[in-house]
Amino acid sequence: MRIGVYVCHCGLNIAGVIDVSALQEMAAELEDVALARDVQFLCSDSGQEGIIQDIKDNKLERVVVAACSPRLHEKTFRRVVEKAGLNPYLLEMVNIREQCSWVHASDPQMATQKAFDLIRMGVAKAKYLKELSSTSSEASKNVLVVGGGVAGIEAALNLADTGFPVTMVEKESTIGGKMALMNEVFPTNDCSICVLAPKMTEVQNHPNITLYTYSEVTDVSGSVGKFQVKVTKKPRFVLEDKCKGCVDLCSAVCPVEIENPMNYGIGKTRAIYMPIPQSVPQVVLIDPEKCVGCGLCEQACPAEAIDYAQEPEEIEFEAGAIIVSTGYQLFDASRKKEYGFGKYPDVITNMQLERMLNSAGPTGGRVLVPSSQEPPKSVAFIQCVGSRDKTVGNEYCSRVCCMAALKNSQMVKERYPEAEITIHYIDIRAAGEMYEEYYERTQRMGVDFIRGKVAEIYQNKEGKPVIRYENTLECRAEEETHDLVVLSTGYEPSKAAEGIGRMLNLSRRPDRFFASAHPKMRPVDAPVSGVFLAGCASGPKEIQVSIAQGGAAASKAMQLLGKGELEADPMGAHVVPEKCIGCRTCVDVCKFGKIRIEDKKAVIDEVSCYGCGDCSAACPEGAILMRNFENEQVLAQIRAATSGKSQSPFVVAFLCNWCSYACADLTGMSRIPYPTNIRVIRMMCSARVNPEFVLEALKGGADGVLVAGCRMDECHYIYGNFDAEKRMDVLREVIGEVGLDRKRLRTLWISAAEGERFSNTITEFVRELEEIGPIGTELKEGSA
Amino acid sequence: MSEEILDMLKAAGLDVLACMHCGTCTGSCPSGRHTSLNTRRILRDARKNRDAVLSDDSLWLCTTCYTCQERCPRQIPITDALLEIRRLAVRKGFMLPEHRKVSELVLNYGHAVPLDEETKKKREELGLDPLPETVRKYPDALRDVQTLLRACKFEELLAEK
Repeated sequence: MRIGVYVCHCGLNIAGVIDVSALQEMAAELEDVALARDVQFLCSDSGQEGIIQDIKDNKLERVVVAACSPRLHEKTFRRVVEKAGLNPYLLEMVNIREQCSWVHASDPQMATQKAFDLIRMGVAKAKYLKELSSTSSEASKNVLVVGGGVAGIEAALNLADTGFPVTMVEKESTIGGKMALMNEVFPTNDCSICVLAPKMTEVQNHPNITLYTYSEVTDVSGSVGKFQVKVTKKPRFVLEDKCKGCVDLCSAVCPVEIENPMNYGIGKTRAIYMPIPQSVPQVVLIDPEKCVGCGLCEQACPAEAIDYAQEPEEIEFEAGAIIVSTGYQLFDASRKKEYGFGKYPDVITNMQLERMLNSAGPTGGRVLVPSSQEPPKSVAFIQCVGSRDKTVGNEYCSRVCCMAALKNSQMVKERYPEAEITIHYIDIRAAGEMYEEYYERTQRMGVDFIRGKVAEIYQNKEGKPVIRYENTLECRAEEETHDLVVLSTGYEPSKAAEGIGRMLNLSRRPDRFFASAHPKMRPVDAPVSGVFLAGCASGPKEIQVSIAQGGAAASKAMQLLGKGELEADPMGAHVVPEKCIGCRTCVDVCKFGKIRIEDKKAVIDEVSCYGCGDCSAACPEGAILMRNFENEQVLAQIRAATSGKSQSPFVVAFLCNWCSYACADLTGMSRIPYPTNIRVIRMMCSARVNPEFVLEALKGGADGVLVAGCRMDECHYIYGNFDAEKRMDVLREVIGEVGLDRKRLRTLWISAAEGERFSNTITEFVRELEEIGPIGTELKEGSA
Repeated sequence: MSEEILDMLKAAGLDVLACMHCGTCTGSCPSGRHTSLNTRRILRDARKNRDAVLSDDSLWLCTTCYTCQERCPRQIPITDALLEIRRLAVRKGFMLPEHRKVSELVLNYGHAVPLDEETKKKREELGLDPLPETVRKYPDALRDVQTLLRACKFEELLAEK
């Protein structure tokens, strides 16, 4: 066999630590390696061209690329190999950047040795690689947009205008999201609803958009190209097709006063109400908790639209892609007890002020101090309430509140020029086009800025809020009485989106917002194929950025579904019928129901197989192959690793592609060091780890084995890591029974965001193995 | 002692580097409202290894109520750090006369507030032993306490430097 090995310098990212020329020389000596080169930047045009030329000139049959993580460039190099006329799956990538140079910078010698081990493992696997070809299948062009705020609206209209059918599901009774509730928006001071309402109406009237409001996604199954979606439409007790939206008639006769959830506690409405005047659809709804069933609205309605017996409605449809634009929720200000929100009437939130400033809002656009119902003569804004605050678990900056406070201070100043306004801030974050100018304009309007976070609020004898703070620029502790104190509450991940997050298996960052596939390079792709993120679902952002993301997510969905068919990953499971004994173990293991028994043999639905490999690990006969992760391929990697045993303790680690391998990548990107003793083998899922792999590693001389997967309940194959854990628990007992220390097999369930924990675990495991001693120590003790 | 204060805090497991100077500590301080104590500035001086913080009288105006530490949005162990700075200050000989006086009382009588004649009389009126069951009553025990304190170099700590 003729294998080409390429060592990438990645500038100094790799070559700065690892001796790449030594690596190239050592690699060239390996069996079956026809050619080895070290190249400055393999992913550059010249780097790629070089590989293509080599394949052609030297008749290479396999290519091993030792560079960055396969999660970054595997696709790139597969295309390169394919261009040279070789099957794209005859490529193996070896990660010597994230797993070597970036984490072992303090030990270049061991880093180089480890990189060589990894290359040997890659070459060993490469010998067993097989040609694979992807199959294509039909995909639905329909795109589900979850959440009808400004990001979702932008995405839906982009798609619909291009000709893609869209189904939008909104949990509230109107679309428009938080933007529809605001008065003016920065930095232009446009009337928010004036710029949004036309888009809201367009969504409703668009022939390509099906809109379900007051509805929630209750189930998603299937995968990219053919997600099966179930939606439940909650009853409004008003018939949507009959209601004319003339809310005055029904609402006027309703005897029950309630708080309108859209008004955040300001003002009252009736138990039959229109959420906001510009609601889309223009349909009222009845609050079933508060309605007394008096029947007055029914009598008053000229359109016979009231239906007290309305039931929830179930809707099912197929979608090729899903855009998650579920938005955010505001921090609950009453959690900051020292500010007395909910206790002191004149301490309000920014959103309450926003509603008061809105001329179509509960006060008709007047700002009224709650206790006096008079306009305020002095207003203080307190920034970072529930943001940049570890005491409430929100370490992050909510990014929008500075500009929102500037805007609202301008609005108050415009309407009440006499009012004294002070903004208490830690840092003013006005980084955006025309934002700094906006900040300066606010100052010139007479708004005062005091640097220092307000420490506490108390109420004086007159019932007015008094704020205590340090003016940090003057190093002085001060107190100030105001008519109105406005808390700029931060943004939090929407609780209501937890369900969709679970259904789609979306991962979350440490700040709890949905994580994108790559924090820098893929801002609107979710880590799950066919799912895209837009707007505040993936973190706080202002309207213009949410709109940009809505457009980007739409374009990603178009790109995916444009052809109407998807290329299926060829890396699923397949059965070797001669080996299969028809024991049904795999049928039980596959929770997705992709395996059935026909003529006493297992048959896998290969097109829709997710490729976790759980069945393959469970098969007692080794009759199920996982393409590109076949037993003989993995075993070759293990043997290559242990045959060198270049240091002690020596750990072979199996990491799942989605969380734990990604976590190791993050550890590298974050340059968090850990001991060099670990050799990683990538799997699609921890469930793929066949007990045989672990035993082979120990037999070969590994002192320890690590099996890592996603955190429980976060597995990308839903059940994979549960099965893996069970399997490893049993295996640990077996290891114990043969007289080895059970601690030699360790499991780790970790998210892609826990770099520090990954590093600590490796450090701890290595230390533990040092204490136990080299493999077999305990056996000698036993026999002696 | 260029790096001493910060190193000492680090050795005690107290990380003050992440302070963003929001002033929540100073604004929350019940003492600072009436005195010259500015908690944030104490920590700033410590972070910059400024010796002046050790001789700063306001270092002793903290009541250790821990409000600042509880509210710090970066969860910096403010009060703990301040106590550690006090420890270093004392080792360097910076101690208020009142504190030195109280410490001397502990060394001499085993009590920060020794029993006076008036209290003794009151105890007798109440039918109690004029001396309570403490080192005050047992000279041997007092000697033990003094031995212990000397072993801890408490005396050296109190000496004017």
